Amino acid sequence: MDPHTQLLSQMAHGDKQAFAALYRALEKPVFRFIHSRLNDPFESSDLLHDVFMEVWRSADRFEGRSKVQTWIFGIAYRKVIDLHRKRGRMTVTDNIPEVIDDSPDAATCMAAGQEAEHVRHCLGTLKDDHRSAISLAFYDDMTYGEIAEVAGVPEGTIKTRIFHAKKLLMRCLSGLVERGAPA
Amino acid sequence: MTTGMTRDDIHALLPFLANNTLTGDERTAVQSAVDSDAQLQNELATLKAIRTTMQAEKGFSPGEMGLARLMRDVDAAPVANAPKRPWMWQAAAAVLLAVVLGQGLLMRQTGAPDGYRLAGGDAGGDTAAFTVSFSPDVTEANLRALLMQAGVEIIGGPSALGLYQLAPLEGVLEQQASDILAASDFIDSIELPEK
Repeated sequence: MDPHTQLLSQMAHGDKQAFAALYRALEKPVFRFIHSRLNDPFESSDLLHDVFMEVWRSADRFEGRSKVQTWIFGIAYRKVIDLHRKRGRMTVTDNIPEVIDDSPDAATCMAAGQEAEHVRHCLGTLKDDHRSAISLAFYDDMTYGEIAEVAGVPEGTIKTRIFHAKKLLMRCLSGLVERGAPA
Repeated sequence: MTTGMTRDDIHALLPFLANNTLTGDERTAVQSAVDSDAQLQNELATLKAIRTTMQAEKGFSPGEMGLARLMRDVDAAPVANAPKRPWMWQAAAAVLLAVVLGQGLLMRQTGAPDGYRLAGGDAGGDTAAFTVSFSPDVTEANLRALLMQAGVEIIGGPSALGLYQLAPLEGVLEQQASDILAASDFIDSIELPEK
Protein backbone atom coordinates (compact mmCIF):
# COMPACT_ATOMS: atom_id res chain seq x y z
CA MET A 1 0.00 0.00 0.00
CA ASP A 2 1.41 3.37 -1.02
CA PRO A 3 1.68 5.38 2.22
CA HIS A 4 0.90 8.62 0.40
CA THR A 5 -2.36 7.53 -1.22
CA GLN A 6 -4.40 8.22 1.89
CA LEU A 7 -2.93 11.70 2.19
CA LEU A 8 -3.83 12.47 -1.40
CA SER A 9 -7.34 11.20 -0.80
CA GLN A 10 -7.72 13.52 2.18
CA MET A 11 -6.32 16.40 0.14
CA ALA A 12 -8.98 15.81 -2.47
CA HIS A 13 -11.47 16.75 0.26
CA GLY A 14 -9.60 19.91 1.15
CA ASP A 15 -7.48 18.60 4.04
CA LYS A 16 -4.57 21.03 4.34
CA GLN A 17 -2.91 19.06 7.11
CA ALA A 18 -2.68 16.11 4.76
CA PHE A 19 -1.18 18.43 2.17
CA ALA A 20 1.42 19.61 4.67
CA ALA A 21 2.24 15.99 5.57
CA LEU A 22 2.64 15.03 1.93
CA TYR A 23 4.82 18.08 1.30
CA ARG A 24 7.06 17.25 4.27
CA ALA A 25 7.37 13.65 3.09
CA LEU A 26 8.30 14.40 -0.51
CA GLU A 27 9.58 17.96 -0.64
CA LYS A 28 13.26 17.08 -0.36
CA PRO A 29 13.45 14.38 -3.05
CA VAL A 30 11.27 16.34 -5.45
CA PHE A 31 13.33 19.48 -4.88
CA ARG A 32 16.56 17.54 -5.34
CA PHE A 33 15.26 16.15 -8.62
CA ILE A 34 14.24 19.57 -9.87
CA HIS A 35 17.50 21.11 -8.72
CA SER A 36 19.49 18.38 -10.47
CA ARG A 37 17.87 19.50 -13.72
CA LEU A 38 17.83 23.27 -13.26
CA ASN A 39 20.98 23.75 -11.18
CA ASP A 40 19.55 26.93 -9.68
CA PRO A 41 18.21 26.77 -6.12
CA PHE A 42 15.94 29.79 -6.44
CA GLU A 43 14.44 28.73 -9.74
CA SER A 44 14.06 25.23 -8.33
CA SER A 45 12.23 26.57 -5.28
CA ASP A 46 9.74 28.37 -7.47
CA LEU A 47 9.17 25.29 -9.58
CA LEU A 48 8.75 23.12 -6.48
CA HIS A 49 6.06 25.55 -5.39
CA ASP A 50 4.31 25.21 -8.74
CA VAL A 51 4.52 21.43 -8.57
CA PHE A 52 2.90 21.20 -5.15
CA MET A 53 0.24 23.74 -6.06
CA GLU A 54 -0.67 21.51 -9.00
CA VAL A 55 -0.66 18.49 -6.69
CA TRP A 56 -3.09 20.32 -4.40
CA ARG A 57 -5.35 21.33 -7.26
CA SER A 58 -5.22 17.92 -8.94
CA ALA A 59 -5.47 15.66 -5.91
CA ASP A 60 -9.01 14.62 -6.80
CA ARG A 61 -7.88 13.56 -10.27
CA PHE A 62 -5.24 11.07 -9.11
CA GLU A 63 -6.35 7.68 -10.40
CA GLY A 64 -4.03 5.48 -8.41
CA ARG A 65 -2.45 3.83 -11.42
CA SER A 66 1.02 4.65 -10.12
CA LYS A 67 2.62 5.49 -6.81
CA VAL A 68 1.87 8.99 -5.59
CA GLN A 69 5.57 9.77 -5.57
CA THR A 70 5.91 8.70 -9.21
CA TRP A 71 2.92 10.84 -10.14
CA ILE A 72 4.39 13.89 -8.42
CA PHE A 73 7.79 13.35 -10.00
CA GLY A 74 6.00 13.17 -13.34
CA ILE A 75 4.46 16.58 -12.72
CA ALA A 76 7.88 17.95 -11.81
CA TYR A 77 9.43 16.34 -14.89
CA ARG A 78 6.92 17.98 -17.23
CA LYS A 79 7.20 21.36 -15.56
CA VAL A 80 10.97 21.35 -16.00
CA ILE A 81 10.53 20.48 -19.67
CA ASP A 82 8.01 23.30 -20.05
CA LEU A 83 10.46 25.70 -18.44
CA HIS A 84 13.29 24.56 -20.70
CA ARG A 85 11.10 24.89 -23.76
CA LYS A 86 10.10 28.41 -22.82
CA ARG A 87 13.74 29.30 -22.60
CA GLY A 88 14.70 27.43 -25.73
CA ARG A 89 17.24 25.21 -24.10
CA MET A 90 15.49 21.88 -24.47
CA THR A 91 17.54 19.15 -26.09
CA VAL A 92 16.40 15.72 -27.17
CA THR A 93 19.27 13.37 -26.79
CA ASP A 94 18.28 9.79 -27.39
CA ASN A 95 20.37 9.80 -30.53
CA ILE A 96 23.90 10.42 -29.44
CA PRO A 97 27.04 9.46 -31.31
CA GLU A 98 28.58 6.24 -30.17
CA VAL A 99 32.10 6.75 -28.94
CA ILE A 100 34.60 4.06 -28.18
CA ASP A 101 34.78 3.68 -24.44
CA ASP A 102 38.47 3.91 -23.68
CA SER A 103 38.10 5.06 -20.10
CA PRO A 104 40.91 3.62 -18.04
CA ASP A 105 39.18 2.98 -14.76
CA ALA A 106 36.33 5.09 -13.47
CA ALA A 107 36.55 3.34 -10.13
CA THR A 108 39.90 5.01 -9.64
CA CYS A 109 38.11 8.31 -9.79
CA MET A 110 35.65 7.36 -7.09
CA ALA A 111 38.50 6.35 -4.84
CA ALA A 112 40.55 9.42 -5.51
CA GLY A 113 38.70 11.86 -3.29
CA GLN A 114 36.62 14.85 -4.34
CA GLU A 115 33.94 12.33 -5.21
CA ALA A 116 31.01 14.60 -4.62
CA GLU A 117 32.47 17.45 -6.65
CA HIS A 118 33.40 15.14 -9.49
CA VAL A 119 30.01 13.47 -9.60
CA ARG A 120 28.22 16.80 -9.47
CA HIS A 121 30.40 18.16 -12.24
CA CYS A 122 29.93 15.14 -14.47
CA LEU A 123 26.17 15.01 -13.89
CA GLY A 124 26.12 18.61 -15.04
CA THR A 125 27.70 17.64 -18.33
CA LEU A 126 24.87 15.23 -19.17
CA LYS A 127 21.96 16.22 -21.32
CA ASP A 128 18.70 16.81 -19.50
CA ASP A 129 16.94 13.51 -20.13
CA HIS A 130 20.11 11.56 -19.35
CA ARG A 131 20.62 13.47 -16.12
CA SER A 132 16.98 12.92 -15.18
CA ALA A 133 17.24 9.17 -15.64
CA ILE A 134 20.42 8.91 -13.58
CA SER A 135 19.04 11.21 -10.88
CA LEU A 136 15.87 9.20 -10.47
CA ALA A 137 17.81 5.93 -10.44
CA PHE A 138 20.45 6.98 -7.95
CA TYR A 139 18.95 9.76 -5.85
CA ASP A 140 15.55 8.14 -5.54
CA ASP A 141 16.24 4.47 -6.21
CA MET A 142 13.48 4.16 -8.77
CA THR A 143 13.02 1.15 -11.00
CA TYR A 144 13.33 1.70 -14.74
CA GLY A 145 9.58 1.19 -14.95
CA GLU A 146 8.95 4.02 -12.50
CA ILE A 147 11.38 6.29 -14.34
CA ALA A 148 9.52 5.51 -17.56
CA GLU A 149 6.25 6.52 -15.88
CA VAL A 150 7.75 9.77 -14.63
CA ALA A 151 9.15 10.64 -18.05
CA GLY A 152 6.12 9.34 -19.94
CA VAL A 153 8.20 7.20 -22.29
CA PRO A 154 8.55 3.45 -22.91
CA GLU A 155 10.78 1.44 -20.60
CA GLY A 156 13.11 0.70 -23.49
CA THR A 157 13.76 4.40 -23.90
CA ILE A 158 14.80 4.67 -20.27
CA LYS A 159 17.15 1.70 -20.64
CA THR A 160 18.71 3.40 -23.65
CA ARG A 161 19.07 6.70 -21.80
CA ILE A 162 20.58 4.98 -18.79
CA PHE A 163 22.96 3.04 -21.01
CA HIS A 164 24.32 6.20 -22.63
CA ALA A 165 24.18 8.32 -19.48
CA LYS A 166 26.17 5.76 -17.53
CA LYS A 167 28.78 5.56 -20.23
CA LEU A 168 29.14 9.33 -20.47
CA LEU A 169 29.19 9.72 -16.71
CA MET A 170 31.94 7.15 -16.22
CA ARG A 171 33.96 8.57 -19.09
CA CYS A 172 33.71 12.02 -17.56
CA LEU A 173 34.79 10.75 -14.15
CA SER A 174 37.73 8.90 -15.64
CA GLY A 175 38.72 11.98 -17.60
CA LEU A 176 38.82 14.06 -14.45
CA VAL A 177 41.16 11.60 -12.83
CA GLU A 178 43.37 11.41 -15.90
CA ARG A 179 43.72 15.17 -16.00
CA GLY A 180 44.07 15.35 -12.25
CA ALA A 181 41.80 18.35 -12.39
CA PRO A 182 39.55 19.55 -9.62
CA ALA A 183 35.91 19.41 -10.64
CA MET B 1 26.89 -13.98 -21.96
CA THR B 2 23.56 -14.65 -20.33
CA THR B 3 20.94 -16.24 -22.53
CA GLY B 4 18.45 -13.76 -23.98
CA MET B 5 20.40 -10.68 -23.00
CA THR B 6 23.01 -8.85 -24.98
CA ARG B 7 26.00 -7.22 -23.37
CA ASP B 8 24.32 -3.84 -23.95
CA ASP B 9 21.25 -5.12 -22.10
CA ILE B 10 23.44 -6.07 -19.17
CA HIS B 11 25.12 -2.67 -19.20
CA ALA B 12 21.77 -0.90 -19.37
CA LEU B 13 20.45 -2.80 -16.36
CA LEU B 14 23.61 -2.55 -14.27
CA PRO B 15 22.56 0.75 -12.60
CA PHE B 16 19.38 -0.98 -11.43
CA LEU B 17 21.42 -3.73 -9.87
CA ALA B 18 23.43 -0.97 -8.20
CA ASN B 19 20.30 0.67 -6.77
CA ASN B 20 18.88 -2.72 -5.80
CA THR B 21 15.62 -2.39 -7.73
CA LEU B 22 16.18 -5.18 -10.22
CA THR B 23 14.05 -8.24 -9.56
CA GLY B 24 13.24 -11.69 -10.89
CA ASP B 25 14.85 -13.14 -13.98
CA GLU B 26 16.50 -9.87 -14.91
CA ARG B 27 18.26 -9.66 -11.57
CA THR B 28 19.40 -13.26 -11.85
CA ALA B 29 20.70 -12.72 -15.38
CA VAL B 30 22.56 -9.50 -14.63
CA GLN B 31 24.00 -10.81 -11.38
CA SER B 32 25.18 -13.93 -13.17
CA ALA B 33 26.89 -11.85 -15.83
CA VAL B 34 28.58 -9.71 -13.20
CA ASP B 35 29.79 -12.73 -11.27
CA SER B 36 31.71 -13.98 -14.27
CA ASP B 37 33.11 -10.69 -15.59
CA ALA B 38 35.72 -8.62 -13.77
CA GLN B 39 35.01 -5.51 -15.85
CA LEU B 40 31.32 -5.62 -14.95
CA GLN B 41 32.23 -6.10 -11.29
CA ASN B 42 34.42 -3.02 -11.46
CA GLU B 43 31.69 -1.03 -13.18
CA LEU B 44 29.09 -2.13 -10.67
CA ALA B 45 31.34 -1.06 -7.81
CA THR B 46 31.75 2.35 -9.43
CA LEU B 47 28.01 2.76 -9.93
CA LYS B 48 27.36 1.87 -6.30
CA ALA B 49 29.97 4.43 -5.24
CA ILE B 50 28.35 7.10 -7.44
CA ARG B 51 24.93 6.31 -5.95
CA THR B 52 26.30 6.46 -2.41
CA THR B 53 28.00 9.76 -3.14
CA MET B 54 24.85 11.27 -4.63
CA GLN B 55 22.65 10.15 -1.75
CA ALA B 56 25.12 11.49 0.81
CA GLU B 57 24.78 15.02 -0.54
CA LYS B 58 23.30 17.40 1.96
CA GLY B 59 21.10 19.52 -0.17
CA PHE B 60 19.27 22.71 0.61
CA SER B 61 15.51 22.70 0.18
CA PRO B 62 12.81 25.29 0.88
CA GLY B 63 11.47 23.28 3.83
CA GLU B 64 9.01 25.03 6.13
CA MET B 65 9.36 28.33 4.33
CA GLY B 66 8.21 26.66 1.14
CA LEU B 67 5.30 25.13 3.02
CA ALA B 68 4.31 28.52 4.44
CA ARG B 69 4.31 29.95 0.93
CA LEU B 70 2.18 27.05 -0.31
CA MET B 71 -0.33 27.44 2.49
CA ARG B 72 -0.61 31.14 1.75
CA ASP B 73 -1.53 30.37 -1.84
CA VAL B 74 -3.77 27.46 -0.89
CA ASP B 75 -5.63 29.67 1.57
CA ALA B 76 -5.99 32.26 -1.12
CA ALA B 77 -7.31 29.86 -3.73
CA PRO B 78 -8.99 26.97 -1.92
CA VAL B 79 -11.29 26.06 -4.77
CA ALA B 80 -10.10 24.31 -7.92
CA ASN B 81 -9.95 26.57 -10.95
CA ALA B 82 -10.24 29.63 -8.75
CA PRO B 83 -8.23 32.67 -9.86
CA LYS B 84 -4.58 32.15 -9.03
CA ARG B 85 -3.97 35.59 -7.56
CA PRO B 86 -6.45 36.79 -4.95
CA TRP B 87 -6.42 40.51 -5.57
CA MET B 88 -9.48 41.22 -3.43
CA TRP B 89 -7.99 39.33 -0.55
CA GLN B 90 -4.68 41.11 -0.89
CA ALA B 91 -6.40 44.44 -1.10
CA ALA B 92 -8.39 43.70 2.05
CA ALA B 93 -5.22 42.76 3.88
CA ALA B 94 -3.52 45.95 2.75
CA VAL B 95 -6.46 48.07 3.90
CA LEU B 96 -6.56 46.39 7.29
CA LEU B 97 -2.83 46.80 7.71
CA ALA B 98 -3.15 50.49 6.83
CA VAL B 99 -5.74 50.86 9.59
CA VAL B 100 -3.48 49.13 12.08
CA LEU B 101 -0.57 51.30 10.99
CA GLY B 102 -2.65 54.42 11.39
CA GLN B 103 -3.74 53.42 14.88
CA GLY B 104 -0.16 52.66 15.86
CA LEU B 105 1.01 56.00 14.57
CA LEU B 106 -1.76 57.80 16.44
CA MET B 107 -0.88 56.02 19.66
CA ARG B 108 2.78 56.93 19.29
CA GLN B 109 1.98 60.58 18.56
CA THR B 110 -0.20 60.89 21.63
CA GLY B 111 2.02 58.87 23.90
CA ALA B 112 5.13 59.54 25.98
CA PRO B 113 8.47 60.46 24.43
CA ASP B 114 9.40 56.83 24.21
CA GLY B 115 8.21 57.12 20.62
CA TYR B 116 11.59 58.56 19.70
CA ARG B 117 14.08 56.31 18.05
CA LEU B 118 17.81 56.44 17.92
CA ALA B 119 19.01 57.43 14.50
CA GLY B 120 21.14 54.34 14.31
CA GLY B 121 18.35 52.05 15.45
CA ASP B 122 18.73 49.04 17.68
CA ALA B 123 20.72 45.92 17.26
CA GLY B 124 18.62 43.12 15.85
CA GLY B 125 17.06 40.30 17.77
CA ASP B 126 14.27 37.84 17.52
CA THR B 127 11.89 39.98 19.56
CA ALA B 128 11.95 43.01 17.28
CA ALA B 129 9.83 42.19 14.27
CA PHE B 130 8.41 43.89 11.25
CA THR B 131 5.02 42.86 10.01
CA VAL B 132 4.85 42.78 6.25
CA SER B 133 2.75 41.55 3.41
CA PHE B 134 4.51 40.53 0.25
CA SER B 135 3.50 41.37 -3.26
CA PRO B 136 1.40 38.55 -4.70
CA ASP B 137 3.77 38.32 -7.64
CA VAL B 138 6.94 37.88 -5.63
CA THR B 139 8.84 34.74 -6.50
CA GLU B 140 10.80 32.52 -4.16
CA ALA B 141 14.00 33.81 -5.71
CA ASN B 142 13.07 37.45 -5.28
CA LEU B 143 11.86 36.85 -1.75
CA ARG B 144 15.04 35.13 -0.68
CA ALA B 145 17.17 37.80 -2.31
CA LEU B 146 15.23 40.53 -0.52
CA LEU B 147 15.45 38.83 2.88
CA MET B 148 19.18 38.32 2.42
CA GLN B 149 19.70 41.89 1.28
CA ALA B 150 17.77 43.29 4.23
CA GLY B 151 19.39 40.86 6.67
CA VAL B 152 16.12 39.60 8.07
CA GLU B 153 14.43 36.27 8.56
CA ILE B 154 10.83 35.15 8.73
CA ILE B 155 9.95 34.30 12.32
CA GLY B 156 6.19 34.01 11.98
CA GLY B 157 3.29 33.86 9.58
CA PRO B 158 1.60 33.83 7.34
CA SER B 159 -1.40 34.98 9.32
CA ALA B 160 -4.90 34.49 8.01
CA LEU B 161 -4.39 37.77 6.22
CA GLY B 162 -1.07 36.74 4.74
CA LEU B 163 1.05 38.87 7.08
CA TYR B 164 4.54 37.73 8.02
CA GLN B 165 6.67 38.58 11.04
CA LEU B 166 10.28 39.40 10.20
CA ALA B 167 13.20 39.88 12.55
CA PRO B 168 16.66 41.26 11.79
CA LEU B 169 19.47 38.78 11.89
CA GLU B 170 22.08 39.16 14.58
CA GLY B 171 24.12 42.31 14.07
CA VAL B 172 21.70 43.85 11.57
CA LEU B 173 20.25 47.23 12.44
CA GLU B 174 16.47 47.52 12.37
CA GLN B 175 16.61 50.87 10.65
CA GLN B 176 18.84 49.52 7.94
CA ALA B 177 16.59 46.50 7.42
CA SER B 178 13.38 48.51 7.43
CA ASP B 179 14.77 50.99 4.88
CA ILE B 180 15.56 48.17 2.49
CA LEU B 181 12.21 46.46 3.02
CA ALA B 182 10.22 49.66 2.68
CA ALA B 183 11.95 50.51 -0.59
CA SER B 184 11.28 47.12 -2.13
CA ASP B 185 8.65 46.59 -4.79
CA PHE B 186 8.07 43.13 -3.35
CA ILE B 187 6.68 44.48 -0.09
CA ASP B 188 3.05 45.53 -0.29
CA SER B 189 2.91 46.89 3.24
CA ILE B 190 5.19 47.09 6.24
CA GLU B 191 4.52 47.82 9.86
CA LEU B 192 7.57 48.96 11.79
CA PRO B 193 8.16 47.88 15.37
CA GLU B 194 6.73 50.16 17.99
CA LYS B 195 9.27 51.93 20.16
